[in-house]
Amino acid sequence: MRVMVTGATTPLGAAIVDRLLVSADVDHVLAIGREREAPAVPGKIAYRHVDLTHARAVHDLVWGQARDLGVGIVIHASQHRRARDVGRSVHDQNVGSTRDLLAACCDHPTITRFVYRSFGEVYAPRHGTAELLDEQAPLDFDPSAPQWIRDRVEADSIVCAAASTRLEVAVLRCAEILAPGVGSQMWDYLTSRVCLRPLGYDPMINVLSVEDAAAAFAAAVGSPAVGVFNIPGYDTLPLSRAIDDAGRAQLPVPGPLMAPLYKLRRQLAGFEFRYELNERRFHFGGVLDGTRARTELGYVPRVPVEWPCSWWRTLLLRLGRLRAEEQT
Amino acid sequence: MDSRTFTRIAHEASFHDAGHGFDVFGLHPPALASVVAYSAPLYERYFRVESSGIEHVPADGPAIVVANHGGTLPIDAGMLCLDLLRRTDPPRIPRAIADRFVPRLPIISTLFARFGVVAGTSANVRRLLADGELIVIWPEGVSGMAKRFRDRYRLQDWNVGFAEHAIRHRAPVIPAAVLGPEESWPLAGKLRRFHAFGAPYLPLPATPLPLPAHYRIVYGPPIRFGALPADADDPAIIGEAADLVRRAVQQLLDDARDARRGIFR
Repeated sequence: MRVMVTGATTPLGAAIVDRLLVSADVDHVLAIGREREAPAVPGKIAYRHVDLTHARAVHDLVWGQARDLGVGIVIHASQHRRARDVGRSVHDQNVGSTRDLLAACCDHPTITRFVYRSFGEVYAPRHGTAELLDEQAPLDFDPSAPQWIRDRVEADSIVCAAASTRLEVAVLRCAEILAPGVGSQMWDYLTSRVCLRPLGYDPMINVLSVEDAAAAFAAAVGSPAVGVFNIPGYDTLPLSRAIDDAGRAQLPVPGPLMAPLYKLRRQLAGFEFRYELNERRFHFGGVLDGTRARTELGYVPRVPVEWPCSWWRTLLLRLGRLRAEEQT
Repeated sequence: MDSRTFTRIAHEASFHDAGHGFDVFGLHPPALASVVAYSAPLYERYFRVESSGIEHVPADGPAIVVANHGGTLPIDAGMLCLDLLRRTDPPRIPRAIADRFVPRLPIISTLFARFGVVAGTSANVRRLLADGELIVIWPEGVSGMAKRFRDRYRLQDWNVGFAEHAIRHRAPVIPAAVLGPEESWPLAGKLRRFHAFGAPYLPLPATPLPLPAHYRIVYGPPIRFGALPADADDPAIIGEAADLVRRAVQQLLDDARDARRGIFR
């Protein structure tokens, strides 16, 4: 089979491409990225620079090179990563490109399957909803929600609506990927020396490694299953424990002070973390229930995340690992 | 602290570890074991909890304990869960199902999660039963605690959701009666306009602290519904099953009240 991957130059996209390249079932990968220079990946891969915010460019890609190569499966993993950016161009990248790509794929002669990278953040955990969020959990349709969330909910809904077409659609709602360069709010939060935490709350969080996310996409490519799938990570733990594991100090502060304090931090130090994006999660938690992905896709998280430790802690951990490897 | 109790619960009780010593709902057995060990004087000496029929609680597999509710604050729930933890062998961690406003309460929500309490949503209960857990439900909910003293030990509004889950998961229902909470800490009044953190009202207790009423817990024989899992969507079958359990709990309560010698003895 032949697979097209958008967002192939992001850490997640690159991991998906790497995973597909070693798969015996995949003949060829068409990697799409915004960078003009092709990444140096040997093997059965073609790279193309495309700006997916232009509907014409998307159409020409799908009905041109993708058709010529006989691409059968599209993985759409290209989203704007910086939470600070807002506005029309961000919306175009998150929602417009998804809509255009889906429209181009619907009546395509070779493309039969569309796998979309969605986010666990589309859910609206609040009191009264389950701590464990299955695929039927309520989505965050709050019009006052930040654009970062609204865009993701809108794009997710667009893809879910395409389930009625002849295209096989699989939506993978991934837990937060904790890694640098993937737009992880939690990563940015944990890079701070002192992590503020809402006083009186210590919710359960679940984080996903890039390797597990790539494994989930590879499983979705190889499976005929359609619909929405939650993709949880290996690590499920309280927020306070995550802060400890990252070697950071934690300071509980009253909830209403969290947003202004982190806004100040963002303005002074230029960090990405926005408390308003994470407020519900920091109060009520919300762990994705991966039962459906396990039973229908065969996806089981296996790789723990690497916490964003300080340089000396990272060094110590790596030395410890090297020593253990030497001993074995 | 009773180290034997701590060791027994922290190391022998089984739970579904999500990888860091916590389950997905936030249960942390060492935290639970600590509170059980520290609360031993309350359980043994202050309320002098006596229980019978613990053999009716299955040693493994999904099961639902259904009990009456009463008193100003849910001390009866605490004593029932303590009793289940201490008297089951090997210890089974009871997963108490709390009202939906509980996760909004600061500090309490976190503590309850560590002790195994789970918010009462259908998805949570479904997952727990699918995992073969022992859950404890108070179908009266807040109305059980908000009732007047003269209505003590008379079951109030009875939610039927537990019956649906019991039928769907073929889980036995163990009716339980808890005697003592209504006299231990009666409710004097309610501030109905107080809804901080989603609480339905602010309770005003008749006494500043709970009185040392003698707690008696009686577990009845398990009830196994003959209905098939496919019948779990039929409101008539669910209503009938829930009513059967309600009558069983009321009967246990009436029998236990008749048998007791006094409130504090």
